[in-house]
Amino acid sequence: MKPLRIALTKGRLEKDSIALLERVGYECSSVRNKGRRLIFPAGGNRLELVLAKAADVITYVDQGVCDLGVVGKDTILEKGGIFYEVLDLGFGKCRFALAGPKGRDFFGGYSSRIIASKYPNFSASYFEKKAMDVRIIKIEGSVELAPLLGLADAIVDLVETGTTLRENGLEVIEYICDISARLIVNTASMKLRKKEIDELIGKLEQAVSRPEKAEEDVP
Amino acid sequence: MTKYSRITPEGTKDYLFEECSVRREVENTLAGVFLSHGFHEVVTPGLEFYDVFDPDFSGIGQEVMYKMTDRKGRLLVMRPDSTIPIARLAATRLQNLPKPIRLFYNQPIYRNHPGLTGRSNENVQTGVELLGADGFRADLETVSTAVEVLSQCIPDFRLELGHADFFRILSKQLPVSDESRENIRRAIGTKNYTVLHEMLSGINSPQARALMELPHLFGGEDVFERAAADCPRELIPTLDYLHRLYHALSEYGLGSRLIVDLGLVQRNDYYTGVVFSAYVENCGESVLLGGRYDHLAEHFGPSMPSIGFGVNVDAVSRAILAHRSDCRIEPAEVLIHGEDGYEVKALRYFSELMKKKVRCENSVFRTHREALAYANEAGIRQVDFVGPDIQTVLTGRKK
Repeated sequence: MKPLRIALTKGRLEKDSIALLERVGYECSSVRNKGRRLIFPAGGNRLELVLAKAADVITYVDQGVCDLGVVGKDTILEKGGIFYEVLDLGFGKCRFALAGPKGRDFFGGYSSRIIASKYPNFSASYFEKKAMDVRIIKIEGSVELAPLLGLADAIVDLVETGTTLRENGLEVIEYICDISARLIVNTASMKLRKKEIDELIGKLEQAVSRPEKAEEDVP
Repeated sequence: MTKYSRITPEGTKDYLFEECSVRREVENTLAGVFLSHGFHEVVTPGLEFYDVFDPDFSGIGQEVMYKMTDRKGRLLVMRPDSTIPIARLAATRLQNLPKPIRLFYNQPIYRNHPGLTGRSNENVQTGVELLGADGFRADLETVSTAVEVLSQCIPDFRLELGHADFFRILSKQLPVSDESRENIRRAIGTKNYTVLHEMLSGINSPQARALMELPHLFGGEDVFERAAADCPRELIPTLDYLHRLYHALSEYGLGSRLIVDLGLVQRNDYYTGVVFSAYVENCGESVLLGGRYDHLAEHFGPSMPSIGFGVNVDAVSRAILAHRSDCRIEPAEVLIHGEDGYEVKALRYFSELMKKKVRCENSVFRTHREALAYANEAGIRQVDFVGPDIQTVLTGRKK
């Protein structure tokens, strides 16, 4: 039997994803000592893990070269695609927020606003729903800089604790939605390999709904 | 100014040699089956008025269609779908024919997909439409034809069955806005259990509970039993109908290829009854899409219950090519070179060999040396020089 191939998002979500897989009984030592490899056998060859950037996880699953993926809701909202989004994994939690210089009335007046964001598509659809006339500028790095430099009136970005905003004289104008890591599945794989995928989803679902304390301390 | 004269637009490509021959084989196989089932070929225009594909009933977003205007400034699109223009054609021009009308088509459709995803914006589709036919017999024939044509092209695939009524009937009675209904549809279509639960768990009705169950209801024949356990009364006929169809198809010997998904909703809006699609291993998208569309013709003329499906010929060809190790051009078996003054005799000799099914190529070169050098380079094993008599030279090239 061919192993199920799972794309994991590198970085912020990586540790939690691997810990979750180990908790439901898939051995993942090869990913923990990765070296220069890019594809890792796991769970006694029942799985094959791939580490990729968030947007690429969606691409690999959408195109069917990976059967499943773990990726943040933020990337799903920004990039879209065709796949099943089957499970909220409960980690990597933060929120999308609209933020701007403290004390300024963002919604007042008639002039059109300039918004800086790493998430231009998501920002555009957010303001579209509000029927607001805005211009969106895509920024790649620290978005908080844009209003400080006078490039933008506000930003749309992920907010975890709000510390970065406060330290730069910015505040949340509006929380837009909650974000967390999601399990996504290729539409054809879901049908062609239903039994194996169902089993995996079932195990993960159980683990997610009953979190254990011990796993918090994994280095 | 930048010139784009040496590349093709994103989402399009040149098809070369074996890609063309495989595609032609697939098209011929499909057309052969359709003709033998009594379907007649039609071709609809590559350009049509935008109104034919009005997003309100086509479910095709305006951003997906390639648009231009005609001389009078009216909006035209490049054909983004074949079923809709065939419904237009049948409703407007074929009403004097006895029903049902059996039509098949083989033509490209154009859709402007989001960039940099590797999807084709130009796809050849071959399919059938059975127009003016209602009921079990028509559904059974169409789904079994779909299985039959695909199995003649690719050995391994699965066909998935669903029904548009499950979502439509259940969602109709929900006390929610159109926008939420669309969000619920999307959540079911993407099997987004989390969002679905959030949106529906507050509503205490059998319909809401059944909707929450929908995306889970896929798999083998056991789905019918699982669904029946908690099925709202108004859906029992639909469930029984689909089960009857499933049962008939397995009796016909197609059971091993069938799967059921009652949560199939992410389809063209015009489907009203049974819906089905086919998947092959290592191909992320479906290779065949079809379903019953009883109200589409009403947008163009008299009502005509209909069912049909389209095969994505390019995706099927890719699946076939993936199993073949190398793609190369098959050289001719014989190069025929007419000496000066014997060009016409060479042509006669050419048609003689052709009748014997020998694959020949005519030499356009002036000298023996050029003809031989070309044969060598192209891998043609034999050169026949046609003069007062015919001399055969072997190039020593292994094919």
